[in-house]
Amino acid sequence: MGSAVTQEMLRRALEGRRVNIVNPLVALTLLICLLASLAILVVLLWDVVAKSMPVWQERGWSVITNDLSPRPAETGMIQGIFGSVMLTVIVVVLSFPLGVAAAIYLEEYARDTRITRLLVANIRNLAGVPSIVYGLLGLSVFVKLILEGMLGQVSGRTLIAGGLTLSMLVLSIMVITTQEALRAVPLAIREASFGVGATPWQTIRHHVLPVASPAIFTGSVLTLARAFGESAPLLLAGAVLSTFFAAPEGTPITDLVLGEKYTALPIIIYNWSRQPQQEYIALTAAAIVALLVILLVVNTGTILARDALERRNRM
Amino acid sequence: MNPANKRLLRWGAALSALLLLGAACGGDDDSDAPATAAPVTDEAPAPEGLTGSIEVSGSSTVEPITALVAEKFNSAHPGVGISVEGPGTGDGFQRFCAGETDISDASRAIKDSEAEACAEAGVEWVELKVAFDGISVLTSPDNDDVSCLDTGDLYALVGAESEGFQSWSDANGLASELAAAGLGGSGAPYPDAPLVITAPGEESGTFDAFVELALEDITEERGQDEPTRVDYQASANDNVIVDNVGSNPTSFGWVGFAFFAENSSVLKAVEVDGGDGCMAPSIESIADGSYPLSRPLFIYVAVNRLVGNPALGPFVDFYMGDGYSSVAEAGYVALPPDELSATKAAWAGVG
Repeated sequence: MGSAVTQEMLRRALEGRRVNIVNPLVALTLLICLLASLAILVVLLWDVVAKSMPVWQERGWSVITNDLSPRPAETGMIQGIFGSVMLTVIVVVLSFPLGVAAAIYLEEYARDTRITRLLVANIRNLAGVPSIVYGLLGLSVFVKLILEGMLGQVSGRTLIAGGLTLSMLVLSIMVITTQEALRAVPLAIREASFGVGATPWQTIRHHVLPVASPAIFTGSVLTLARAFGESAPLLLAGAVLSTFFAAPEGTPITDLVLGEKYTALPIIIYNWSRQPQQEYIALTAAAIVALLVILLVVNTGTILARDALERRNRM
Repeated sequence: MNPANKRLLRWGAALSALLLLGAACGGDDDSDAPATAAPVTDEAPAPEGLTGSIEVSGSSTVEPITALVAEKFNSAHPGVGISVEGPGTGDGFQRFCAGETDISDASRAIKDSEAEACAEAGVEWVELKVAFDGISVLTSPDNDDVSCLDTGDLYALVGAESEGFQSWSDANGLASELAAAGLGGSGAPYPDAPLVITAPGEESGTFDAFVELALEDITEERGQDEPTRVDYQASANDNVIVDNVGSNPTSFGWVGFAFFAENSSVLKAVEVDGGDGCMAPSIESIADGSYPLSRPLFIYVAVNRLVGNPALGPFVDFYMGDGYSSVAEAGYVALPPDELSATKAAWAGVG
């Protein structure tokens, strides 16, 4: 409060009695931009929620917990939710350690040579590659070459193939966000640690990573949210685009991941949106709401967790 | 314990929580057998504890039929995993002839090139006709001036060269040009009334079928590239087409037969002349093929996979038997009894 008053006094002293028109105008324009983007979001949300209301009223939880069915009155999205969650788990397990490790190497160990710079430039380019290209890669490498070719599976169009594809997709983004997080750690912290005789690894482990972890955490979850909503690469990497599929009853979860067909929530949204029956308009909206709610819960959880981490660091 | 270790622990905990959540969902997935499927009665005693998995791909038009059959079969034999996809007939055959699928849904017969690919990959198949689909050409019941159109008329009204025609009579010149070339156009002269078209868009199978059955030959003959005119109101929602055509006295459009049949009180189906006289769409004329805009729907079964996949034979048996009611349920025209027996015989000949 005090500083704001001082600032105001200082500003007046410097500007004299001149009336500044530009500044309020810029502020107003920026505010309008903010409101416009918020309005788009609100309209979108309102539209989807309103359209999905009949489904929630008539079907209740069954639209979440039912399996897919060719009858719109009985269909549900549990197979898609299961697929999406498992895909995300695979992505976390694979790309998080790999991405963070690669970023630590690049930021803390690698010397600034031409090769390093080439590597970094390539990783940045990879992050800009359209996701459909990763889908093609997933189909030819994971589905065809590894699962069907080398491991001899009848069909390689399984969750693990989709998970590997999405991991490839987010790996480069994971590296970049972690790099940025590490870069934001003040050099003085490293110098102090080296100054008392710590090794590079001790420095990273006990000083750099703890400071960078909230940012790494946030970046990772935003990256995962992207993987969660991705549909194009999965369509190529074998997700089932269908109003009906079923695994044999009693299939253990490992087989569901490694050997069975799968679908994901964004795929279900896409498929429902192109169905001719009227009921699918509301069903599609309901699936979008489900996707948004899951993402919202995960993101909120992340923000809370990050804040807790930051508070601990300050102590 | 130092902060870094605690942090690692926390990440580990978050990860295991995710894994657990996944496992929990997986549990649901397993135990939620489709409790809502229609009751199924087996005429022949089903093999006990049938297991295996069946992969179906192909036409999106046939997908609803096969998906219904698959759901009923799965609730009778939960040990059998089934997936039914509908990327399109061509894509379906590509996978089928690469030996990736057990059954290929098709809204047209297999092409020679596709059959060659199948032969090369050692895929033996049997073609089973399962249903008919007919496209109804529509106008309003108030439109007394139009009752029968031939393919030349359809081309003159909605073909590539009709772009910009605001009134039915604008097509008179084109129709007489077509008539001179022996391509039809006998419905001209058309009424001098606004031509208001609402029809399926390019993404629709009904659009493809209409283009293929009514327009394609003339479009090629005339050296045009576009399948239809583009300046009409396209809708992916058949109900919108039904509403628009029904509410405007000089409208024009087309939908699948099922939609016309459900809304025949507010619509008039224009008779179509495919060279053998005017025919109105009906279950009979579609089933016997005398309606020019009707097409058979097929499933292709990979015979060479019957031995290795014990579930495949019973599934096709079920398709032709108790599951066959799905054809009507999905809104398609079932085969007349003699054709159905012919299909059954073709299937029996395989075993």
